[in-house]
Amino acid sequence: MNLERVPNEEKLTLCRKYYLGGYAFLPFLWLVNVVWFFKEAFMKPVYTEQLQIKKYVKRSALGLLLWVTVLTTWITIFQRFRAEWGEVGDYLSFTIPLGIP
Amino acid sequence: MDLLSSKWLVNLLVCCLFVGVGCNSVEKKIYVNLNYTVPCVRLLNATHQIGCQSHLSGNVGVLHVLESEENLDWVLHSGLTPPYLVILESSLFTRSIMMKLKNGSSRVAGVAVVTPNANPSQGTSPHTSCPNENTGVYTENYDPTMARCNVTVWNPLGTGLSYEEFDFPIFAMKEDNDTQVIRQCYMDHNRAGNGSTPQYPLCAMQLYSHMSAVTDTATCMRRNNINFSLSPEMVCDPLSDFNVWASTRPLNNTAKGHKEGESVVLAAARLDSRSFFFDIAPGAESGVSGFVALLAAAHALRNATQEAPPPRNILYAFFHGETFDYIGSSRMVYDMEKNNFAVDLDNIHSVLEVGQVCIFMSCVKKLILRLQSAASGLNVSVEEPGFSQPLPPSSFQRFLRARPIPGVVIEDHRSAFTNSFYESMYDNAEYLNISYPPDLTPDEQLEYVTDTAKALTEVATVVARTLYIQAGGAESRLGSINADPQMVTRILYGFLVRSNNSWFQQLIPSDLVSHLTDRPTNFYVGVAQQPGKPTLLVQYLLANLTGIVVSDTCFNNCVFVLLPQMYSYLWVQGAAPPNSTERVGFCMRSAARLSKALSPAFDLHEYTSKDYSTWTESRWKTIKGRIFLVASHELEVNFWASPAPRRLLGGASFCPPL
Repeated sequence: MNLERVPNEEKLTLCRKYYLGGYAFLPFLWLVNVVWFFKEAFMKPVYTEQLQIKKYVKRSALGLLLWVTVLTTWITIFQRFRAEWGEVGDYLSFTIPLGIP
Repeated sequence: MDLLSSKWLVNLLVCCLFVGVGCNSVEKKIYVNLNYTVPCVRLLNATHQIGCQSHLSGNVGVLHVLESEENLDWVLHSGLTPPYLVILESSLFTRSIMMKLKNGSSRVAGVAVVTPNANPSQGTSPHTSCPNENTGVYTENYDPTMARCNVTVWNPLGTGLSYEEFDFPIFAMKEDNDTQVIRQCYMDHNRAGNGSTPQYPLCAMQLYSHMSAVTDTATCMRRNNINFSLSPEMVCDPLSDFNVWASTRPLNNTAKGHKEGESVVLAAARLDSRSFFFDIAPGAESGVSGFVALLAAAHALRNATQEAPPPRNILYAFFHGETFDYIGSSRMVYDMEKNNFAVDLDNIHSVLEVGQVCIFMSCVKKLILRLQSAASGLNVSVEEPGFSQPLPPSSFQRFLRARPIPGVVIEDHRSAFTNSFYESMYDNAEYLNISYPPDLTPDEQLEYVTDTAKALTEVATVVARTLYIQAGGAESRLGSINADPQMVTRILYGFLVRSNNSWFQQLIPSDLVSHLTDRPTNFYVGVAQQPGKPTLLVQYLLANLTGIVVSDTCFNNCVFVLLPQMYSYLWVQGAAPPNSTERVGFCMRSAARLSKALSPAFDLHEYTSKDYSTWTESRWKTIKGRIFLVASHELEVNFWASPAPRRLLGGASFCPPL
């Protein structure tokens, strides 16, 4: 969607929708929010709704960073220690590799 | 002519031109597949995994034919093109070389052992030196001085290779044309001549034997049973088969548990064997000698027990899976304890077990003298004259764990085994000196009485007479109890030389004929839910040797089945009469039955049990091997991390590979 032709109020509603949607355990919405509205929020000349859009983009970025940290930590721990957890590791896995611990 | 039909005509002409064109596959020009490959597979128990493993996409290594132990240095340190796939002659397949290869396994992609056609002159056994040391009767709680082979090392030639873990595949190849191709490939491409290093392209081999199970039995049984995984897959199976048993007086098989007034002498023997490689287990002296002696003894006792039945019953039991921590006998003891078997442990009067018995006349004489002195006083637990010696590994030990039952184990060795190839692939007919004069047809070989058969017949006669006395029979009848050497030689031929012979074909029903092969029988216990080939053969043999023909009918199954709880009725296909080609079948009534031989640990779900066998065998997808020429690593474009093979054979082709 080309944001050039969209009126500012609609831009604000879109940004808000994506920001609020991301709270439903959908961090990719926040990623999209940040990438899509980055130019609008920080690089365009000022307009009325820009302050609010800036706020939403900043908060989306924060939420995204949090999610990335949590997921990276969990994935690293799981991949490294799954074999040693034995039974618990097996019950947490969807596909267990064959032939290696 | 109009445009459409002329186009059609042109197409037809063009197709006709292409009629004579063939197609060649590039893959067939690159790879030479190995036809006869025998892998070593992974087995797991409560604490360990043993055997070999390869990568999912096979292990590729540059071929190297090992000349001596010093040559290992090239493989492990100085060779410039690791990883190597080492080809070993069987004389170099020793513990020291294999342990060095195991330690340097980052540079070793696999091992291929060339098995000779004749047995080696030196004895060697891949089994441990103390077989079944944890599941016998001697434990830390009972007689710890005799536990763990402190007094006698039973298998001094044992290297323990079968129980080591390797993370590269080990295959066995026969000495045939394929192996010559491999050696030629090595000579042409890989051999370092005059100090110069061999240049790429080099001859390489790829071995696939990826095993799915890992760590130990508890882990693999847990992974078998996981419900919510995306792709549930069985990764391992417990080792199991069936025991064969029969009694001289029929027992009511539906009334399980203790039988009042029934006193039974248990005559036991072991059916199975193993070797380092999968599904090769000729087990000639380790297992076959014992159970053939017992079969012949059962046959010898048939008339005596019918005409003058002794006061006690005799129960013949052939246990399967004894190599792997007494699977069959521990299951029978467990069934007896849980009242799941026709008799109880309290019904057992004594045990006589036939272990590895002699095949040479000289040792037979000594055995007879010793047994006669033992047979006279069989009220005490005679372990050996002078019982500072523990019992050898035998099924009797499992019965002793449950009850102090008196018994005798008949073996041909005083302390350590005299078997030079215990549980090895060389423990075959050649080791027992079963040789036939040349120029005999298979049928004549079947009937020819070898010296080995004569020696084993003597043993069988002694076993039969001892059993008769032990069951309380009269001494006056002993002279008429004789084993038949013709029977013994036929059974030995059938199990050790070729099972597809005319006598075996008469004894089995027609749907089992496909089980008979032109090779020696394989006695590895395996994981099948159905009884294995040797088990069925022993059951039908036992039925034939101890049972009677009930009816000679034209029907294809046993019709007159009376008292099925006391007898088992088996339909066999019989022989063809001289004038026709149709076999005349008959119904055999006997007391020979099968009982499940699965370790109690799997019924109780105690996969870390110390008391019962917990052996399982891993599952796998493909087992194969192939050779090809491999180019230097710099030329590889690594999309799939497998080396780009070059053409092994010449010729060009325009067709896409299959």
